Amino acid sequence: MSGGGKLKVEHDSNACVGHGRCYVLAPDVFDEDERGHGVVKQASVHAELAKQARLAAENCPEDAITLRSDDDA
Amino acid sequence: MSSHTDNTPESDSESINFFDPAAAAHPQPVFERLRKQCPVGNAVPGGAVCISRYDDVLFALRHPEIFSAVMPAGLIGNVRPLIPLHVDPPEQVKYRKFLDPLFSNKNVLKMEKDVREIASNLVSRFADEDGCEFNSAFAIPYPSTVFLRLMGLPEDDLEYFLGLKNAIIRPEADSPQQEVKIRNETGQEIYAYFDKFLDKLEKSPRDDLLSLFITAEVGGERMSREEVLDICYLFLLGGLDTVTSTLGCMVSYLAQHADRRQSLLDDPALLESAIEEMLRWETPVVQVVRTLTQDHTMGGVELKKGDAVTLVLGSANTDDEQFANAQEVNFERTPNKHIAFGGGPHRCLGSHLSRMELRVALEEFHKRVPEYAIKQGETPVYSHAIREVTYLPLQFGEGQK
Repeated sequence: MSGGGKLKVEHDSNACVGHGRCYVLAPDVFDEDERGHGVVKQASVHAELAKQARLAAENCPEDAITLRSDDDA
Repeated sequence: MSSHTDNTPESDSESINFFDPAAAAHPQPVFERLRKQCPVGNAVPGGAVCISRYDDVLFALRHPEIFSAVMPAGLIGNVRPLIPLHVDPPEQVKYRKFLDPLFSNKNVLKMEKDVREIASNLVSRFADEDGCEFNSAFAIPYPSTVFLRLMGLPEDDLEYFLGLKNAIIRPEADSPQQEVKIRNETGQEIYAYFDKFLDKLEKSPRDDLLSLFITAEVGGERMSREEVLDICYLFLLGGLDTVTSTLGCMVSYLAQHADRRQSLLDDPALLESAIEEMLRWETPVVQVVRTLTQDHTMGGVELKKGDAVTLVLGSANTDDEQFANAQEVNFERTPNKHIAFGGGPHRCLGSHLSRMELRVALEEFHKRVPEYAIKQGETPVYSHAIREVTYLPLQFGEGQK
């Protein structure tokens, strides 16, 4: 994962069970749906938002969030 | 490969029995021995198989098709499975689709103002004293009052509900047979109370959860009376007990670690991650039970179809393989993928409500009582399984460090 580059945010709704860590820790990148499950608000992020996205990804107990380098975007 | 029944550790010089009352106050070293000596096996001869490593516990939680949460009725006074806890996907999903939105983070935050008022009123009753017994003064009445208001149940019945809940979770009995008898009788009383209450609501529904239960469509049709009762039964146990226990564990920890408490006073923004860390470290709901639907090998141990297994959440949450410096409490810990609320499809329905209640309670308590310690010469008393701090004597004031 590159330090300053753009990141593509992917959220696996089949793995998500609604712990809600992502939208609490990264409120600019994730939102909650009606059931309190996470949904992606910003699919491509960089700089400050990339920091938030990483925080969400590494704190998801279901490993439902994947970040990929998005330098082509 | 060995059968799990051979997997009991040979030496019992150091107990790995976390049901031991002495372990309830400081279970983490017991969990460490459990993970090292028998990560999948009988911690106590003749006891249920314990699964204690983070990866194994999480695997089991995520795979109800192998590790089923369906339980035979009757273990906790119930005559039918509790909904949605004892129902697995796909059947369980329709109930969660109905219940999840009611307890979503967004909806829970709408209740914060009312919850804060309940907390503030309770704190006012003892804040000017020299100290209090925290469990009876706050940890018990607080979440119970929130629960009754949310459900639309009469707050005058608080003591009655606490009696019912305690008789199911911690029956005061001389023998296992008497425990069963108390639980079954109390179970009947719980069904009867709610049945009568729902009859009244049928005639005049109101703006509360119970009214919604009897009028809402779940999976395309209204729930039967039995389905509603099976949800109520679970809510009574979950709503009244777990936040009490969690709050007691946290305040007891903070009373014994003045530097940590001070760090929260110095930096209020630390509170949310501190709560996550205390959830990890204390894990008040120590374990959950699952039943094997098929033969399955875990950690080199053959588990057989029909075996009951105990998933030790408290041990998973202090596993060095998952958490850096797992035996240290770090209020700024990240990542912190603790599973104090379980994981997989049965993730605690009340986790968002619980987090909000815990945050508001600690904010309101610290606002009025910033300095406190365990009362001199006294020791807090913990129960096992669900770690309620049944006796938490505090003394207030400056110099309580």
